[in-house]
This record gives sequence, structure tokens and C-alpha cells, in this order.
Amino acid sequence: MTNESRQRASAEDRDTHDSSAIVFEGVTKRYSDGTVAVETLDLTLPAGELTVLVGPSGCGKTTTLRMINQLETLSEGRLLIGDRDVTSVDATRLRRQIGYVMQHSGLFPHKTIADNIAVVPRLLGWDKTRIRERVAALVELVGLDETLARRYPHQLSGGQQQRVGLARALAADPPILLMDEPFAAVDPIVRTHLQEEFLNLQRRVQKTIVMVTHDIDEAMKLGDRVAIFSQGGKLAQFDTPARLLSAPASEFVVDFIGADRELRRLALERLDSMELDAGLTAPRDEIVARARSYLQQAGSGGIVVLDEQRAPLGWLDWETLKQADDRARIDSLPLKAWRHRLYLHDNLRSALNALISSPGEVMPVLNAQGRYVGVIDQLQLTRRLS
Amino acid sequence: MNWGWVASNSHQIMAALLQHIQLVGLALLFGFLIAFPLALLAVRWPRLYGPSLAVTGVMFTIPSLALFILLMPFTGLSMATSLIGLTLYTLLILFRNIVQGLRGVSPSVREAARALGYTPARRLFAVELPIALPVIVAGIRIAAVTIIGMVTVTALIGQGGLGQLFITGFTLSFATPLVIGFVLSVVLAVAVDLALVGILYWLTPWQRGVR
Repeated sequence: MTNESRQRASAEDRDTHDSSAIVFEGVTKRYSDGTVAVETLDLTLPAGELTVLVGPSGCGKTTTLRMINQLETLSEGRLLIGDRDVTSVDATRLRRQIGYVMQHSGLFPHKTIADNIAVVPRLLGWDKTRIRERVAALVELVGLDETLARRYPHQLSGGQQQRVGLARALAADPPILLMDEPFAAVDPIVRTHLQEEFLNLQRRVQKTIVMVTHDIDEAMKLGDRVAIFSQGGKLAQFDTPARLLSAPASEFVVDFIGADRELRRLALERLDSMELDAGLTAPRDEIVARARSYLQQAGSGGIVVLDEQRAPLGWLDWETLKQADDRARIDSLPLKAWRHRLYLHDNLRSALNALISSPGEVMPVLNAQGRYVGVIDQLQLTRRLS
Repeated sequence: MNWGWVASNSHQIMAALLQHIQLVGLALLFGFLIAFPLALLAVRWPRLYGPSLAVTGVMFTIPSLALFILLMPFTGLSMATSLIGLTLYTLLILFRNIVQGLRGVSPSVREAARALGYTPARRLFAVELPIALPVIVAGIRIAAVTIIGMVTVTALIGQGGLGQLFITGFTLSFATPLVIGFVLSVVLAVAVDLALVGILYWLTPWQRGVR
């Protein structure tokens, strides 16, 4: 693909995404007994982004999600998908154009995995060949073994069922995907794994996704934007995870995000966003006398020893250098190795963890090829925190 | 056992058996046609469940002979009398099992069908009924076996399938027709029951190896 055509393609993509932004205009949901689930909600969920709705139970986040595909009706206000008012569209037809993933996969127990995935294409009247090809592609996309396609849901694990649920939602390639606590019913290890795969998948499919969760960690990890709801269906704040951490709108948001807010913020930044110190380094064939004079000039407690490829070998501290023979090569001395390696793409939270458990005052940071680019120390990170 | 009697009356025995099967089949069919919509209403509006159950339950408790006699002034000694009676007896079992079966469909499955864009009718026929099928067929089995026994009673109003053989045997003080009627009735009940089990097995591949 030429550069130009690629640009054109992405512009077209953007057009189709624009048509599927979801806009709430003064939406209220009141039940017949008078309880208000959602109160005058104004919210625009941008096309092609993953928005997470999060909040304590009973905050109206699920109701908000379910109004999008008319599983719940609105009492007041307008809800637009692109420029279409959802209430003007036939509910059944609307739902076939919106993927839906639920907490307990909600798979049909009497249909095979392949038939479960094929549900919406069949409702839309696709021909058999096209359905078969689409099912095969989806089985692969969500990372299922193709031998599972002829099994029934009860023969699969919870995690596998959740993958089928996702494949079923994506089957007709809808521009919008709604997910109601999709990872809540699987155990924590599988959940982390599914979340990561899901993020990768979203980078590839680029749909407008709305996800409901009660888990703030999940919200911050997955969401491009996060809408925090408070009790009684009020929107407390709608922003990117980084902004929620750096500029929370209210006490409620601060409390909801939790006490380790600062640490969460570190988790959102990567080492390459920082200006790294060049640090004090020496090649492995340097002699002790010269290394000693570097250290004295710099007033540092140690030096990073590099090999021929500029990959760090270890940390040489002043105590060791002081006692060594002047003419010895420094790589003949006992160097302290780091237990973890830090790369530019690591986040600051893991950097802090690594620093706490590492010898010496600084830790080298490597580029993707494993070459030394600079050092980071605890002081730098603590400065970031405040 | 007088096998000579069996041979010379094989025609009559066969006719009785066929009538028996016909009465059972039609009673189940009409029973289902009434119980099914009633069950759908009771699932949709749960308030209807109690009264429907009470009415069909009361019908089930009426002694069969009394019921046929009650119907006689209206429909006489006809097949209609026999069929109406038998149909009423199937209602309670069929109604209750259809409702139980449909209620057994998990809410998340029902919700998923709605959210994926099934129309209500398609959801009923493509999702809810197949899932409810084992419970519904269990009801049909009980109803069928119950009715197969009860048909013989209608011999007293001139119907009765294999029941006619009992009357013959009784009036002639002759055991062979009694034995034949008894054996065929039991064999029919067992055969129908097994056939229904087989049909269910064939219709519900997802259930295999679960139980």
C-alpha cells in the first residue's frame, strides 16, 4: 500500500467511526416505582475508542449501557448513535448492528460453538459459505482452538466461553460493541490474560466499545476514557485515565480511584516519557585507576559497567573499587547484577518496584535492542509522584 | 389362552389397537394445542399461572367415569365424548411441564437472545423451546402413559380401543380377550414411552453425555 492510499484508507475508517459515536443528551431513566437509575446524563462516547463505565453498584452504569441497544428505554432525553436517534430505529434491527458481550457468556447451551458464533449472521440472512468462513476467522481471532467449534458450551472452560461470547458479538462486524462486565466471572489469572488479549484485539479492530465494570483497576487499564458514576446515576467525571489521576474532579472520584492513586498514575507513564540521566558508565576493559577517578570527579557511589555491545554487565560500587589493584581490568572485579531489566517501554510503576529491589542507587534503562540508554534513580521517580 | 379365538378375531383386535392409538394420539395433540398457548400466557403473565394450574388440576381430579357421564348429555356416546375427556386429563401435566421447561431457560440466555436481535417469536422457537424440550417431552411421556391406561375406561361409553376387549372378556367370562387387551395396552405404553425417549435423544444432541 502506498503512503497516500494508506492515508485515504484511514480517513475512510475515521468516517465510518464518526458515524458510530454514541451521544447521550440529557438522558434520564426513571423506573415506574420512581427510582432514578440515570439522571440527566450528557455524555459523548467517541467513535473508535474504548470507554469504560465504572462506579459502585446501583450507580446506573449498566442501565446506561443497556439503553444504547434499547434493552432499557429512556424516560427523557435523546440518545444518538452517529446522527441516528436510537428510539427511531427498530430495536431488533438496531441490536443486530451492535455487538453484545455479557458477564456469564450467555451462550446458547443447545447450539455448538460454531452455531453460537453464527447467530447474528444467520439472523441477518448471510449465505452459508460466508457464515462458515466468518466463523472460522472469528475462532482464530479470539484465540480458540478450531477443534472446539463443534463442541457445546458446557464442554468449555469459563475463559473459553468468554472468548466465544466475544466472537459471537463480533460476528457481523458491528461498529459498536457493548460489554457488560465481560471479565467478571473468570478467575483472576485468566482475567488478566483475557484483558491483555482484548486490548490487542481492540488495537486491531478499532471499534467503538462501551464496557461496564465495577473494578477501577480494569477501567484504568483498558479504557481510553473512563466515565465514573456515583450513586443515583450521576456522572462524576468523564476523562482519560491519566487525567482522572492527575485532575480528579471531586472527593468522590479521589475516593473511588483509591488510596494508591499516585502509584496508579505511575503505571500509566512509560520510561521513555522521562528525561533519563546519561549516568556514569565505563567499558568492561577500563582499568581500575581510571574508573576510580571518574567516580571521584562525579561524586557517585558506583558505576555501570558495559560490554562491547553497550549492554550493562553490572554495578561496580566504590567499596569494591577502593580495594582493587590500580592496573586491574574492572570486569575482573565482582560486579553486582540487577535482578530485573528495565526497558524504555516499561511503566514507571514497574521501574519503581525494580529500583526498590535493586543494588546500587541507579538502574540502567535499555532500548528494545538491549543497549544502554541511561539510568533512572528513585529520586527522579519520587519527584514524579508529587 | 385360546389362540383360535385370537386368530379368528385378529381383525377386531387390530381395530381396537388402532382406535386406542388414535384416541391417545388425538388427545395428546389437542391437549398440547390447548396447553401450549396457555403455558405461554402463564410464562408471560405469571399471575395467570396459579388459576390455570388450579383449573387444570381440578379437571385432573374428576374421576374419569364421572367425567364421561357428565359429558354424555352433550356429546352422546361418540368419540368426541371420549376425546374431550382424555384431552382434559392431559392438560394439567402438559401445561405444568411446558411452563416449567420455559421457566428453566436461564435469564442470561434469554437476555442474550434479546440483545443479539432475535424477534420474540424467533427467540421462542429457536432458543427457549429447544432448551425447554427435555422437560416438555417428560410431560408428554407421563401424559401419554396416563392416557393409554385411561382409554380403556371409555369402553363403557362404547369407545375405548383395547378396553373393548375387556368388556368382551368380562361379558363372555372368557380370559383370552382380557389377557390380550392387557398385554397390548402395556406393550403400547412401553413402546410409546421408549419412542419419546428416542425422539428426545435425537432432538437434543447437546444433552448427550451430560447426565
